[in-house]
Amino acid sequence: MPPRISSTAAEVEMPLMRHAFAALLILSALAARGDAPGVYAITGGTVHTAAGADIANGVVIVRDGLIEAVGAGLAIPADAATIDAAGMHVYPGLIDAQTSLGFTSAKPAQRRRGGGARSAAQEGPAVPETSPSFLAINNVKLSDDDLDAARSAGITTILTVPTTGIFNGQSVILNLGSGSAESRVVKQPATMQVSFNTRSTWVYPDSLMGVMAYIRQTLLDAQQYAAARAVYDRSPAGNKRPEENLSSQALGPVLLRELPVVFVANDELMMRRALAIAKEMNLRLILAGARQAYKMPDELKQLGVPLLVSVNWPKPPADKDDREEQPLRVIRDRQLAPTTPAALVKSGAAFALVSGGAKSADFAGGIRKAMDNGLTADDALRATTIWPARILGVDRQLGSLERGKIANVVVTDKPIFAKERQVKRLLIDGREVRVTPAAEKKKAGAASAIDGTWSLSVRSAQGDVAITATLHGENGTVTGTYSGDRGSGEIRNGSLDGTTIEFTITATGSNQSEAGDWVFHGTVSGTSMTGTVSTNLGSFQFTGSKAK
Amino acid sequence: MMIKQRVILSAAKDPYLQARRMIGTDASPSLRLSMTLGAVLLAVAATASAQETVTVIRNATVLTITKGRIEHGSVVIRGAKIAAVGPDAQVSVPAGARVIDAAGKFVMPGIVDTHSHTGVDGSVNELSLPNTGMVRIGDVITNEDISAYRQLAGGTTTALVLHGSANAIGGQSQIVKWKWGHPASEWLVADAPRTIKFALGENPKSANFKPPAGIDPQYPATRMGVEEVIRKSFLDAKDYMARWDDYEARRKRGETPIPPRRDLLMETMADILRGKIDVHSHCYRADEILMLLNLGDELGFKVRELQHVLEGYKVAKEIAAHGTGSGTFIDWWGFKAEAYDAIPYNVALMVRNGVLTSVNSDDDDLARRLNQDAAKAMKYGGLSEDEALMLCTINPAKQLRLDHRIGSIEVGKDADLVIWTGNPLSSYSRVETTFVEGEAVFDRQHDLQQREERAKEKRERLAKEAKDPKEKDSE
Repeated sequence: MPPRISSTAAEVEMPLMRHAFAALLILSALAARGDAPGVYAITGGTVHTAAGADIANGVVIVRDGLIEAVGAGLAIPADAATIDAAGMHVYPGLIDAQTSLGFTSAKPAQRRRGGGARSAAQEGPAVPETSPSFLAINNVKLSDDDLDAARSAGITTILTVPTTGIFNGQSVILNLGSGSAESRVVKQPATMQVSFNTRSTWVYPDSLMGVMAYIRQTLLDAQQYAAARAVYDRSPAGNKRPEENLSSQALGPVLLRELPVVFVANDELMMRRALAIAKEMNLRLILAGARQAYKMPDELKQLGVPLLVSVNWPKPPADKDDREEQPLRVIRDRQLAPTTPAALVKSGAAFALVSGGAKSADFAGGIRKAMDNGLTADDALRATTIWPARILGVDRQLGSLERGKIANVVVTDKPIFAKERQVKRLLIDGREVRVTPAAEKKKAGAASAIDGTWSLSVRSAQGDVAITATLHGENGTVTGTYSGDRGSGEIRNGSLDGTTIEFTITATGSNQSEAGDWVFHGTVSGTSMTGTVSTNLGSFQFTGSKAK
Repeated sequence: MMIKQRVILSAAKDPYLQARRMIGTDASPSLRLSMTLGAVLLAVAATASAQETVTVIRNATVLTITKGRIEHGSVVIRGAKIAAVGPDAQVSVPAGARVIDAAGKFVMPGIVDTHSHTGVDGSVNELSLPNTGMVRIGDVITNEDISAYRQLAGGTTTALVLHGSANAIGGQSQIVKWKWGHPASEWLVADAPRTIKFALGENPKSANFKPPAGIDPQYPATRMGVEEVIRKSFLDAKDYMARWDDYEARRKRGETPIPPRRDLLMETMADILRGKIDVHSHCYRADEILMLLNLGDELGFKVRELQHVLEGYKVAKEIAAHGTGSGTFIDWWGFKAEAYDAIPYNVALMVRNGVLTSVNSDDDDLARRLNQDAAKAMKYGGLSEDEALMLCTINPAKQLRLDHRIGSIEVGKDADLVIWTGNPLSSYSRVETTFVEGEAVFDRQHDLQQREERAKEKRERLAKEAKDPKEKDSE
């Protein structure tokens, strides 16, 4: 039992006078600190505890940051502020167990088949190379927009870590309440995260197989480091002093299976590659992404590997011709991917649903899609509360509305994953947090950031191809013109979703196979973008920069 | 150096759906209804192979490769292996066997391609270093490359999937069978020799792989430099091996030394020296071929197969004397300076001088008609039919050191078999059925049948998306 829970239990059993005195002390402390957690009674709503049956007209009592009681017909403490939830729904705060919120340079992983380079080679590394010793806690900076977006989605707890580099670093679990970063921390480090990201072309490793070798060698080096230190510490005389290596040092707990490793892998083949490395190196593996887990639910159950399934489901191209040109395999996969959660429930594999790099605002929509594909509402709630808490080892303090747990409570007007539902009241760490509905202007703002003239360089098999594109973004649509080595014309099928940009040009060429549609798929970061171009001749990497 | 064609529409079997159908858990009832007879038959055949069912191909012209041609011959497939082969009169049909009447048709062993880049997830080149022997193609084999299926339709069943030729010492390569419909892990030939790609000439000296502006050109920039990279890598490996030997010796003496670093690149180089990894080297010119063979003599490594080797005819005796094989193009030349001296007689001249020679593809497209390239060696240099067929069957199988399993139709070998409508050396012949380890992984009739089925599924699925073209998930 964590100490917090036992102290709360003791408090309840106190004689009335002492109880009142204690309450007085708390209240005075509250007055002194201003933002201290108070005493709340959330009444009249349907309470979905994620730990048993729903309670109609239930009461949740919150005191000093913790849940004091949950049930029907409970007496309301005299010192409690009442939150009237009549006709509404009360939930434990959602846990998004796989995000990069708070890392401005972090971008959703954009590895398509072909393993695109992540940063413009011309610009050198556009993002800091993360490493095993990188601690998310030291670097996370949550903006008001990040907080608003997550809270509006009913998310009160996140696991966050950058997506850049191969060893992304050590993640942190944060509550999204007010207060300092340190006061938000639930667990640190929570996991070591690894992504199969290639580096810029000509920087090792610039291929997927190179990334595999790099991960193996890094882990072997950590093994050697531990072995060398052990020998040296035992018998320093006569042995050369081993070199210090913070990366290897940071991987020590991983090799000892004390710290789990999250491998980000969406498709089956990538999951199998992660499974292979974890087996070779005897790691405590968690798979994140896992959108093709529907292909292997029983095997995953049998392997006992927990999954953080991204509800950032693959989406069809907006253009009809583009959809029709795709192979059946791709179309089928994107329609079957949302069956993954239901398949995992059936097999009994441990999993959670995560936003997986998508916007917090899209979280509920992604979960609805899983529900349309067989996931029950109860399991959807568990998959975003108690199940991620268990996978991350914080289920004694988070993940359900139960006495003694951290008071992260969400009150919604409709069921939590329903369309257009609103978060009406929100308690995080027992403090009420005001929820600002996600502003539409954000989207427009993000789109206009791409407005301007972009110099694009495509590393085609025939050499570098230079294209200048003038782009304009509005409400998620991108329009504009292009000119350069492959002709000129209008941009087609342009879209911008967060930092993900897509557009098509009609390339001219000296022969038939060089000509045709070039479909750009990239990630925008400030004045640079990187990604891949699909052409008749295969997929190529491209980089771009915006004229100042 | 060939470029992959973009996959527009896969008309092929899909491994996932196939598997779901076999176990009857397809998500959509309409799909199950749309199963054709062909699909059922194929599924049954596939499932049955696990239970050692027996298939007999009767009345065919059997090209055994190693034991001549059998008119009106039979091949008995039991499970994954060839159980019997001989004239119809001498081969009895086991009870319960599935019989394929192949009257007027030809049966030959599956074609073996020793130069492929098919089925690789991500780049086939790790460009960043002059020696990338630590990377492994086997880590990134994908079973979703439609080209593998198309190669089955051309009779190719086994391939050496190589790292690219951007560096003097490239990554470790992988021998696979195109087991379409099976997990990628089953494509890897488990007990096949380990292999590595070397490359000489223009590519590793960065003539064809130029870094973008802002990144320094990579060493080496000359053929001398390529040689130096290879020599230095082996000398480093010898130092590495000595360090480990020293460590083990000190431990045996009861000391507590600090273990040396385990370096995946150096382990690879050491395993080449130990004879545990076969070298397959990209090359064109006679001078660089001799350089590599001499370097092998000097440093103690063998070159299993020279790749491309377009000037092999100039140094065929030297190649043969080293016991080194050659895998080449029959009639591709002039596509770059180092290919100007290529001649189509290269194959025949090397064969006549005792070089173990094969024709291979380096290309998704050519890999579908290696039988035709083999046939051209009859025109250019007058090889016999049998010698021509060996170029794409038993010879490459020997180069891969898998001739105990593949490359000919013999009892006990893998049932990798191709039924052709006519003589495979004729450009008018087409593949009817291709078996890999006893399973019909390509069947023309089945393919034609399922095209409509797949088109229908695609229509239905697209229609579903047309109803909500832009699914708005956000609120």
